[in-house]
Amino acid sequence: MLKYILRRLILSLPVLLGVSIVAFLVISLAPGDFLDTYRLSPSISKEQIDNLEKQFGLDKEPVVQYFIWLKNIVQGDWGYSFTYKVPVWNILFRRLEATLLLSITTFIFTWGIGIPLGIVSALKQYTFTDQALSVFGFIGISIPNFFFALLWLFMSASTGIFPIGGIISNNFDSLNWFQQMGDYFWHVIGPMVTLGTSGLAGTMRIMRGQLLDELNKDYVEFARAKGMPNRVVIYKHAMRNAINPVVTSLGFSISGLLGGAVLTERVFSWPGMGSLIIEALTQQDIFLVMANLMLSALLLVFGNLIADILLAAVDPRVRLRLS
Amino acid sequence: MKKFFVIMLVMAAALFMFAEETEWLIRDVEGGVKGGTLYLGTTSGPKTLNAYWSQESSSRDIYKYMYESLMGSDNKAQVNQPALAKRFWREETADGGTAYYFELRKGLKWSDGQPLTVEDIVFTYENIIKGDGMTADGVETYQDTEGNLPELTVDGNILKFKYPTKYRFGYDSLGGITIMPKHIFKDKVDSPESFAQMWTIEQIGDIISSGPYIVTEYREGVRVVLERNPYYFIKSKDGVQLPYLDKLVFLIVQDTNTMRLKFEAGDIDLLQISAADYPAIKAQQAEKNWNIIVGGPNASSQFIAFNFNAKDPIHREWFRNDNFRLAMSFAFDRETIIDTLYNGLGEPMYGPRNRTSAFYNPEIESFGFRYSIAKAKRYLQQAGFTWNSQGQLLDWDGNVVEFEITTNSGSNAREEIANIFVDSVQKLGINVNYRPVQFNTLVQNLYSANWDSLILGLQGGDDPAWGTNVWSLNGGLHFWNWSPEVQDWVDPNEYYVSDAEKRIDEIMKINRSIMDPAKVQDLWDEWQMLAAGKQILVYTVSQNYLVAMKDDIVIFNPEPSPLYGAGVLWNIEAIYKK
Repeated sequence: MLKYILRRLILSLPVLLGVSIVAFLVISLAPGDFLDTYRLSPSISKEQIDNLEKQFGLDKEPVVQYFIWLKNIVQGDWGYSFTYKVPVWNILFRRLEATLLLSITTFIFTWGIGIPLGIVSALKQYTFTDQALSVFGFIGISIPNFFFALLWLFMSASTGIFPIGGIISNNFDSLNWFQQMGDYFWHVIGPMVTLGTSGLAGTMRIMRGQLLDELNKDYVEFARAKGMPNRVVIYKHAMRNAINPVVTSLGFSISGLLGGAVLTERVFSWPGMGSLIIEALTQQDIFLVMANLMLSALLLVFGNLIADILLAAVDPRVRLRLS
Repeated sequence: MKKFFVIMLVMAAALFMFAEETEWLIRDVEGGVKGGTLYLGTTSGPKTLNAYWSQESSSRDIYKYMYESLMGSDNKAQVNQPALAKRFWREETADGGTAYYFELRKGLKWSDGQPLTVEDIVFTYENIIKGDGMTADGVETYQDTEGNLPELTVDGNILKFKYPTKYRFGYDSLGGITIMPKHIFKDKVDSPESFAQMWTIEQIGDIISSGPYIVTEYREGVRVVLERNPYYFIKSKDGVQLPYLDKLVFLIVQDTNTMRLKFEAGDIDLLQISAADYPAIKAQQAEKNWNIIVGGPNASSQFIAFNFNAKDPIHREWFRNDNFRLAMSFAFDRETIIDTLYNGLGEPMYGPRNRTSAFYNPEIESFGFRYSIAKAKRYLQQAGFTWNSQGQLLDWDGNVVEFEITTNSGSNAREEIANIFVDSVQKLGINVNYRPVQFNTLVQNLYSANWDSLILGLQGGDDPAWGTNVWSLNGGLHFWNWSPEVQDWVDPNEYYVSDAEKRIDEIMKINRSIMDPAKVQDLWDEWQMLAAGKQILVYTVSQNYLVAMKDDIVIFNPEPSPLYGAGVLWNIEAIYKK
């Protein structure tokens, strides 16, 4: 198993290298550079722009720029953000707390509620409960996130139950530790529900379909005919076979944990990475964007690895193949 | 024993120095209440608090409450008020030069209690402003017409900046220098990199200020907290040390709809409203007891530029024709933009300055610019244009007039302006194709021949001299016409510059060496008459300044300042909560 993990990690290196080349070239090929906003400032002269180009290393060819970037990374230097003048990782880490708070709660919301609801739906196939859950799921999937977010905010504004965006209240400093934690969670509910409802239906539908597939198979009928209790048939046999694709997609969604959700973050003014990266992209703050893309690529690699390990844990066939 | 006396003497001297009484600046306010927190909203947080390396208004909006300069500005954004300097004057010297004198207040302190002295100013000037590559803006602002930087000498508490030539712009440029503390920066000015990486958002808490507030907390994407500077040098008439408010809290709310909801819910005390939101806010005014102020037009400058060197030589000839541009301006329905985009809360602009500006020349109104298709047609006829049987406009050679207009997508105002322009000139039989592009594409194409006309806005100071880069023929932002240098490599016959542009170029070059303010104003009057009369750039509209606030906020001077982004928060130290 350890050997397998090691092999996977070594094989991911060329993948990451490839991602970095493509990403860097795409950013460089996009018109303009970070200095475009400077170019439109009446107080900066043409000569000064040329000086700044040299200072920021933007006067070199994209290929040269890439190799300089790569060389620095090998030496452990990821560069600093043009806008913030701060090493890129420090900027990204400052957003980590809020990003993780939202993505983990959303993750729990989506999978923690989606899987049980999918099972309920499958077991009560074609009953009122099943139909009601499906309708609920489809509503969630079909309302665009930003619109749902706006609806939520108007609801909060008119009822006053939930806060209007943000991550903390104005009086945050005067609260004690428990109240502060409560304040965080009170604020995360809005964006979590917004993001969660769209993912929830997906999880629910996959779980329902998979379980129904398995329940219609011969071995289930055989187990039932043998007189095995229904609980055991479903949870010990059918479930274990049905869960595989769900575990795989769960692994994929790990890579999205740090990605952020731009529109929802914007409407809820949630201080996550999504809004940071969009701003960096429009300003062509190239090293910051690169660091974020590499982080996403790395998480994708890890997410897949974790999914495979989880798969091995739930499925003995996979375990056998790996060893 | 001798050693002991020396030490005693040094200590006494130090005590004497620290005990020095502050020479207070007395602000013309009284009766305010000290304390309280003002909650404000901003759409984006600061990127860096190093004033010499930030280029974003989101950063400036925070640090403008932190850093003081030698001089301050009045409610018309004119730099003519004492600040760190208690007195300032200038002399024309016998050798034809100009000397600017600033007498620094005694007893000034940084927010960490260290004395703020002439040393700091000398340090800022010699090591940062004059330092090689130390600032993003460069030194151009401080240079006289011949490119000289002033020589700085110190006599006690008096700083003397001496230019070898006549130079009128010293209060605006030198008086506005952001002073940096020497005791913090002295080892950080050896390279631009180490200086640029100072006072970033990572160092919040260590940053000190000379202004009314210091930033004490920044949660990225959440809020910025500024607290009172205990050593601020301004007092009210009844002897209260300003600022009145203990804290300013900026909530970072990216989405303007959410910002409005937050104001309505009371999370934000004061909101600069867009004209689109105005009716909804106004409707709740009586119920919520808000004060709403409708100010004059903002100092914005959205204009349509025509490329005098467009790729197609036929297009060039139209765009270089004064009557053609005048016709475009007459046909351009500004009132409709104000009605649809700004709910009627805006004013048309016909020249580069509007009535908010201290330099506005009301004489440009005599041109009688107002939407008129008849006048537009008359100007086109004068230029030799005709119409064919389908109503299409033809030029003097019989070519159908059709061109492109472009702007950056994502800017609501510019897109609306483009649409209305396309609609307006349709009535003249001109087909204009609107092609929005990404911001960076627009900037990259600015100096090429790959555009016919575009909509842009530029920000700068109120004094037209700040626009030198835009209006001089060889200026870095004079993008609609080639610089005269091109005659070295393009056919000189293809280079065209009108007399009006030549004169404007001259005005931009000579104004800094004219000392009499009345004569300078004459130049600006002439500049506006030329720019408006020939419609070198076709200016569009500007929205009125609109702000709503809770009724417990007392604004020292409710007339909004045109200084970019300041509005009613100009002189923040004198604002208090009842």
